[in-house]
Amino acid sequence: MRSYVALSGRYLKQQKRRTLLTIIGIILSVALIGAIGTMGQAIKDNMISNAKYEDGSFHFGYLTADMMLAEQLRNNVLVDQLGGMLQGPETKLSENASAYIHGVNADGFDLLPIHLEQGRYPQSDRELVVEQWLLEGLQGQPALGGKLTLNDIEGKPREYTIVGILKNQRKSQIEQASKVFSLLDENAESTKSATNLQLFVTLKPGVEIKDELVHFERLDDKFETNRELLALMGQSADNSLNKALLIIFGTLIGLVVLSTIAVIYNAFHIAVLERIRQFGLLRTLGATPRQIRNLVLREATMLSLIAIPLGLAVGWGGLWLALWLMIKNGFQVLQMESFKLTFHWWIMGLSVGVGLFAVFVAAWLPARKASTVSPVEAAKGAGSIVRESYRRMRIPSLLQLIGVEGKMASSNIRRNRAKFRITTFSIAISITLFIVFHYFTQQSLNLSVDTTENTKIAFEVYPYSGGFEENRTSSIPEDLDRLSAEQMEQLRSIQGVDEVYGMYGSFGTETWVPQEFANERYLDKIDFAPPTQPDENGERYGISTEFRIYDEARFQEAKPYLVAGTADPDRLAAEDAVLVIQTVKPFVLQSNKREQLEITRYKVGDTLSLRTNPGEDAAPIMREVKIGGILSQSPFDSPYAESVLVAIGTRSTITKLYQAAFPDEGNPNFLLTSAQISIKDGADAEAIKSELESFISRSFPGGAQLVDIASERQRERQFALQMQIFVYGFLIIIGTIGSLNIINTVQTNLLLRRKEIGLLQSVGMTLGQVRRMASAEGVWFGVIGGFWGIGLGAAISYLLYKQINDVQGIPFVFPWSGALIATACAIAVGLLSVQSPLRRMNKASLIDRLREE
Amino acid sequence: MNVITVDGLSKSYGKGTTKVDALSGVSFSIKQGEFVAVVGASGSGKSTLLHLLGGLDRPTGGHVHIDGEDLYGLKEKQRAIFRRRKIGFIFQSYNLIPVLNVEENIRLPLLLDHREPDRAYVTDLIRTLGLEERRKHLPSELSGGQQQRVAIGRALAYRPAIVLADEPTGNLDSANGREVLELLKIAVRQFHQTVIIITHDMNIAAEADRVLKLQDGKLVSDSHVQAGAGRRSV
Repeated sequence: MRSYVALSGRYLKQQKRRTLLTIIGIILSVALIGAIGTMGQAIKDNMISNAKYEDGSFHFGYLTADMMLAEQLRNNVLVDQLGGMLQGPETKLSENASAYIHGVNADGFDLLPIHLEQGRYPQSDRELVVEQWLLEGLQGQPALGGKLTLNDIEGKPREYTIVGILKNQRKSQIEQASKVFSLLDENAESTKSATNLQLFVTLKPGVEIKDELVHFERLDDKFETNRELLALMGQSADNSLNKALLIIFGTLIGLVVLSTIAVIYNAFHIAVLERIRQFGLLRTLGATPRQIRNLVLREATMLSLIAIPLGLAVGWGGLWLALWLMIKNGFQVLQMESFKLTFHWWIMGLSVGVGLFAVFVAAWLPARKASTVSPVEAAKGAGSIVRESYRRMRIPSLLQLIGVEGKMASSNIRRNRAKFRITTFSIAISITLFIVFHYFTQQSLNLSVDTTENTKIAFEVYPYSGGFEENRTSSIPEDLDRLSAEQMEQLRSIQGVDEVYGMYGSFGTETWVPQEFANERYLDKIDFAPPTQPDENGERYGISTEFRIYDEARFQEAKPYLVAGTADPDRLAAEDAVLVIQTVKPFVLQSNKREQLEITRYKVGDTLSLRTNPGEDAAPIMREVKIGGILSQSPFDSPYAESVLVAIGTRSTITKLYQAAFPDEGNPNFLLTSAQISIKDGADAEAIKSELESFISRSFPGGAQLVDIASERQRERQFALQMQIFVYGFLIIIGTIGSLNIINTVQTNLLLRRKEIGLLQSVGMTLGQVRRMASAEGVWFGVIGGFWGIGLGAAISYLLYKQINDVQGIPFVFPWSGALIATACAIAVGLLSVQSPLRRMNKASLIDRLREE
Repeated sequence: MNVITVDGLSKSYGKGTTKVDALSGVSFSIKQGEFVAVVGASGSGKSTLLHLLGGLDRPTGGHVHIDGEDLYGLKEKQRAIFRRRKIGFIFQSYNLIPVLNVEENIRLPLLLDHREPDRAYVTDLIRTLGLEERRKHLPSELSGGQQQRVAIGRALAYRPAIVLADEPTGNLDSANGREVLELLKIAVRQFHQTVIIITHDMNIAAEADRVLKLQDGKLVSDSHVQAGAGRRSV
């Protein structure tokens, strides 16, 4: 030993357990900070590439331009890429399908959301790319490399070679109109003279796009920006999204840092308390306070040197491993074909900096405490090491109810104010951390991921009916369901099919909502006034209501969204009751964003009053229907309607309602018009598709349209799954850090009292009593920590909510679920973590413990 | 030559009705090379006196001069350094650093001063203490007597002006106690050091050159012992 500072290393080596626990704490925190940074960056990168996938990668564009403007842009030094597109006339390919040729230049294929399934983009104006479904409907089913004759840009028939197949789009399949793309001939007369040329521009890298937009806007009035992309890039005039992201991630990292400080502080505090006599002794030997402080800070440095690099490796490695596993299991990580985890020095630097900061802040107070130890305390030798001021409690603790052990526990908890505060703080911060992360991740999942059953629907089958397409002969009479119950079952039995949902007609009318059920907040926010009508209690409002029909399978999916009442179709049918969705998401002008609001305030058992003859003058006929259940959101389609109340019933209920509402209009024939088919995760979509094709040719002589959205939906579904995996992965790490903190705190609290517990045993306390006492302490710390943690967690969650709310209006929900999970875990961890020190204590001899100092 | 001069030294704890005078108006001086025992009943102020002589605590009144330096005229840091260089402590409960071995524990005061120890002196000290075989042992591997010998070694390592011992034999059996006492006496002789020892044991007190007796915080007797010739009160 060359210097007294070597004492630090000796101590760390001797106290292997505590050193290890502290190192794990630092590793996890640094890993988490690094992972949050990397994930935040990756999610942002991913949102950018998602926006590019959906809307194209151009920065801005012009909708009706000409070649003059194109030339002007091309000569602008700031412009990087210039895409051009010109739409040609329609070509009727069959009775029900048509195609529109679009000429796109090479940059255009780069900048626009035109997604190849196979093949390549056109390299001449005689080549084209086309959606798969369109080819399947054509005579002779031309394939890649085949020929197709279409009207060209000028409207003259031209034979094209198919060089690429595009991904199927749902919209084009339903509309039976598809865009096909060829290379734009910029020298053709038709292009030169065109006035409906669409131009798409990107600026050179490094250019501050938001500063330049104003100059480009002046060039033409049909100017549009690629809003979402620019907002994500931080280049839109309105920078609120980036600001919100910064604040959210800043808060999360701040919380992690705080809990790291708590973990490390605890470890150091306890390490110092344990050695307070040694420090006192060093003081009697003439060590200056500064030398003692340096000893503790040196320990902090040594721990940092070991733990921080490991933390970086674990954070990066863990994330990499998670992604690798996902890719290996066939996921397209975050919607991209290959997920690149971008390495950013700033994130690594930030993690190291924040980690060091946390360690030194945490070590500073214990170091100061050690340096101010009175040498007299050490010299005195015997007696209590730390002077404890026992506080008489004002309020009797609940713990006293469990007898003498509880009484002991409750006075133990409160006997040292500083220790009590530290323990409560570190448990509370762990709980806070979990609640806030839980709240935030749930909210961002809700906002970014479509969690409705839609994501599983991969195919839709629309049988043609006799009356629907007149020039087809069909075996299905007009007043019968297009798919029989038996056919629905056949669809269900196809291997890989998860569920088959029927689609029916619906109708809309107004519900007259009495003032007591109307939501003033909603009425204040929307920019249109609903019609009103006086009634006995004041006024009632005419709220647009959509009545939808669900079959059994759909009701089944509705159950998880049930807030109150029942979603059992038999009970609803028996009572002639409906489910309602009162949550809507209108665009609110005053805040310039979509906000989630309740349109009405009905409860289960209330009745909806339908105004059924919309004529202005006639006295309204009222038809009432009972509310059997309330859903938080729609299980299908878009989760929230814009500004209509949605009521869902069985076919018999809705039909009766309609007949009562419109008595003159006879049988409404709410027929089963088509089927939506969801497939299981990992099922072979191609195999199911060919099964469906053969089912259609077997079952519908008149034919049926098969809409294939499997790849689109699979992409969405995987995105949702991956986001969930990340979210729960995060929560597990957070939970581990929190638990570690609680274990550390509770265990050391106990280990420091070895001698005292030995004393209690020597006067006749049984091990069982000691265990009950210690367990009561562990549990009670969980309860008190939970109390503060829930308060703090809810407050910080609310702050985060304000940020999210600035981007998209949502109501604040108290984070009960996170709070309950966290508190329950804290109590359980508190209870479990006292067991092992007790076991160890029990093994050590009582005499030895009594002799301990 | 006086190495310690104590003048009107007082120490009280608490205020008002709860005020306790642990030490009141104690004055004496000690010459270099004296072996002094401080005796008195429990609570008589022995330990308080020792702490104040060592600069561990602050007096409520009076002065302590060691080697001509006013101990409580020094700042905290200077007092720590003074203690390191001029005062050696020996405690009843040994108080060794458990993670350091015998030699390191002895060298610790020098290490705190960033000084290379005088190897020959340390070796000599270890030999004198009979710890040659145990140089690399940790305190937990030593007997009580051995641990106390290490503590003596540590107290002497810096060749301090005074060695303060608080019941150094209190935890030892009589044979080991005897041995420790002999070592302290050797220190006085061989290294020409001043030793002040607190003890309950009148046999030990009888070995001292001088015995100070405290009662209720006051110095009630100061007697010089002449070898083999009983006691001479002053």
